[in-house]
Amino acid sequence: MSRLRHLLPIACLLLVACQPPAPRNPRPEQLHYPPLTFRVPAVERLDLPNGIRLYLQEDHELPLVEVSAMLPAGSVADPEGKTGLADLYATVLRSGGAGDYPPDAFDELLAERAIDLSASSGSYTLNLGLSLQSKDLMIGLQAMSDMLRHPRFDPQRLELARRQALEAIRRRNDNPGSIAHRTLRQALYPGHPLGRVETRGSLSAISREDLLAFHRRFAHPQGLWLGITGDFDREQLLADLRQLFGGWNGDAARRPVPPVTEKPEAALWLADKPIPQTTILFGELGIDKDNPDLYAVRVMNYILGGGGFNSRLMREVRSNRGLAYSVYSYFQIGRLLPGRFVAGCETKSGTTMQVIRLMREQMRLMREQEVSAEELRLAKESLINSFVFAFEDIHDVVAQQMRLDFYGYPSDYLASYRDRIAAVTVKDVKRVARRYLHPDKQQLVLVGHVKDFDGKPENLGLPVRMIPED
Amino acid sequence: MLRSTLLRLSTAFFILFLCSPSRAATLEDKVREHQFANGLRLLVVERHASPTFAAYLTIGVGAVDENSETRGVAHLLEHMLFKGTKTLGTTDYAAEKPLLDKIAAVGGEIDRLKNDPAADRKRLKTLRQQLTELQKQHRRFVVKDEFSRIYAENGGTGYNAFTTKDSTTYLISLPSNKLELWALIESDRMKNAVLREFYTERDVIQEERRRSYESNPGGMLYETLIANAYTVHPYRNPIIGWHTDIANLTLAETREFHRRYYAPINTVIALVGDIDFDRAVAMVERYFGDIPPGTRVPPLAVVEPPQKGEKRIHIDFDAQPQMAIAYHKPTLPAREDYVFDLIDLILSGGPTSRLYKSLVQKQQLATRVSTYGAPGARYDNLFVISAAPRYPHTLAEVEQAIYAELERLTREPVSETELDKARNRLKVDHLQGMQSNNGLARSLTYFQTVAHDWRYLARYQQVISSITASEIMQVAKTYLTADNRTVVTLSKEETQP
Repeated sequence: MSRLRHLLPIACLLLVACQPPAPRNPRPEQLHYPPLTFRVPAVERLDLPNGIRLYLQEDHELPLVEVSAMLPAGSVADPEGKTGLADLYATVLRSGGAGDYPPDAFDELLAERAIDLSASSGSYTLNLGLSLQSKDLMIGLQAMSDMLRHPRFDPQRLELARRQALEAIRRRNDNPGSIAHRTLRQALYPGHPLGRVETRGSLSAISREDLLAFHRRFAHPQGLWLGITGDFDREQLLADLRQLFGGWNGDAARRPVPPVTEKPEAALWLADKPIPQTTILFGELGIDKDNPDLYAVRVMNYILGGGGFNSRLMREVRSNRGLAYSVYSYFQIGRLLPGRFVAGCETKSGTTMQVIRLMREQMRLMREQEVSAEELRLAKESLINSFVFAFEDIHDVVAQQMRLDFYGYPSDYLASYRDRIAAVTVKDVKRVARRYLHPDKQQLVLVGHVKDFDGKPENLGLPVRMIPED
Repeated sequence: MLRSTLLRLSTAFFILFLCSPSRAATLEDKVREHQFANGLRLLVVERHASPTFAAYLTIGVGAVDENSETRGVAHLLEHMLFKGTKTLGTTDYAAEKPLLDKIAAVGGEIDRLKNDPAADRKRLKTLRQQLTELQKQHRRFVVKDEFSRIYAENGGTGYNAFTTKDSTTYLISLPSNKLELWALIESDRMKNAVLREFYTERDVIQEERRRSYESNPGGMLYETLIANAYTVHPYRNPIIGWHTDIANLTLAETREFHRRYYAPINTVIALVGDIDFDRAVAMVERYFGDIPPGTRVPPLAVVEPPQKGEKRIHIDFDAQPQMAIAYHKPTLPAREDYVFDLIDLILSGGPTSRLYKSLVQKQQLATRVSTYGAPGARYDNLFVISAAPRYPHTLAEVEQAIYAELERLTREPVSETELDKARNRLKVDHLQGMQSNNGLARSLTYFQTVAHDWRYLARYQQVISSITASEIMQVAKTYLTADNRTVVTLSKEETQP
């Protein structure tokens, strides 16, 4: 009887809960999806007679055209003592006037039509961008052609750019993240251009003649790669390009890329700054694009710290313990030289050492234990199933193909990407973790309020170097 | 941070078709709309170039709808809604539930006692130990970040959410065959959310606050500017909440905010990409159709009183000097708001704009100068000018040079060339904002939420083209006055202005 008394109210509750029968959602695993039809889109490639490489794709949805261009003249070849040359060249190439147009008139010509024309320097390339309405395409291409063929490098604009770059040096310690990333780069590539930063001296040493010499050497049609997408007529565009760039001839000098030879000693780099949170960065030299471990490294890093909430670092540091908002790791795949592995996080001063220990522990576990089959499956499926998003934007598709060819990726790189990810095994993951993760021998950068740390930085087992203030 | 750029980037559908007659459809033809019986609104743009789609779900409730007891709760709730439901994120909800209730009881008791100086310290300590122990026990029921796992293995990218003063948005991009997965997860999140791991997440948000505001000079300058420009209106409160707000938000308050506002009547969904409209309507009906409509987010009664004089604040921070100046102005759909979009471009849109030419290029007093609208758009907002001096020039010099340009706006009409340039820029910005599925979905949900009708976009360019130089002068005279401004400077002690 007593049992029945207890059961009765429960039975009533159940009845109430069951009426009316609410539609119950299935579990996500129970859903069935139609197959996804997807082909890697074709991109047309052709060469102009003077050697310009062209990548084209028409797209008439919007009355817009996008252009990306590259020249093989990156900042990695800036001579010692003139660090910042490629950057300054790019800035003044764009701002210094071109053809018949002094700087103000050139800016005005573009601004009146809301034409975006940009130039910037990367490690290995000088990058140009042009974005405009299709009705202004000829004006924009003419401006780009003038900029490449007849730049004016106006001396006043050079001085303005130099002063702005000097001011940027003054301001580069304002944000803890920028101190930390700059320091890590310097620590990873000692004595190499990839590890050099602009100084007052190096910027002051750059003359207008240096920019002109840079231009004479590298701005040539045989080194120019052009990717164009959007609302244009192919035949008309080719005729326009022949008109604008025909009669321009020249040799294709690639700016030399010095090899990375020196291996840095592990160290702790410390900047004392009165802020309530510490920026923590671990780093070491990683891999370049020709490394056959590329795919296993991608999967391994997804599990370690590249997979957002699905990664171990996020789970242990943020989700389980509330010690950080952002925590991550990545391999920056070097296109020509070894790139860097970085693991980073920000945590309050009083949990700095705790988070360092946790992150090191997670790297150590990747080396010492095999990941679970479930972790491997998730990482691979995520990388494979999201591959389609590399092709969502037509200009990205064209620019991507152009870069792959420029850097000499294998021709089946995109077509075989998913299969290569699928082939990665648990053993591969452990093998590449052992090979590329060295938690005790990495560069470690801390930017924060040292006196509030939960321990002494000297006890981390690394020689301590103070980051100099400018 | 809401910028007027967002507005500019996202208002061009109409123009697109005006300037290209070969493309026959107008925006109104392209956007297909359905309102369900429970008030939920669905906007769809079909684009089949890539087998993908972007999904934005926006609730028209944000930080502005909090009160002094609940500052930060909209954002905290956004974090908590990544923690799962009764079926996702748990090994067994029925078994987990009693433990969750205990955690809520103990956690609530701690929150009640911890700020009371008369509270029994020993009891507090015992409770904290209990909480830690309960949280440990709870771990075995938690399936960590299961939403994230499911979206990831199905190819989802950009899984995220953001909270603004005005609204809260949940977004994801998926391969186009995964529409049903999206509907299942997002409707489950609205209907059956379970707020797990609450106390850990409060700590995560404290770290987010330290990162974005307390260790970041730009973030601190912005937060201080907004907090001081308003005296009464809740736009003054940081979205993330102040430190002690975050530490004291309760699970009950968070749950209540969800119960009260996360309802179909306050929600708009945009699906943009390789989507079939009829299928999308049926799918959303199937998964969201049984949710009761809920009650509308009430409009605020509070009105910011007119500012009666300049407010001026200095922040001492270990960084090079920078400053921001804010002027009160009306929000959309007031005509003045359109005028400020033009003023924004005339002053700081690119290398030929007035402030850039004067401060950066000619006088070389500043290393950067920009303008934008903030901090929201549902209520009257601010026009902000932000700048940083170039050494050895000072904040005071930069400030005077800015005022000289503002004064010029009030004194002489802008030229037709400048006006045309600004109109052209708006047109192209709008077109470019539509290039991605994401951008389009964001614009549609944004304007549906703050302007209460996405068709605001369709009228935008027409209004812009009707604005004259003398109108710009009049608006500048009315709003860009010393009495109406708040000035915040930031620098190290030794370089104070």
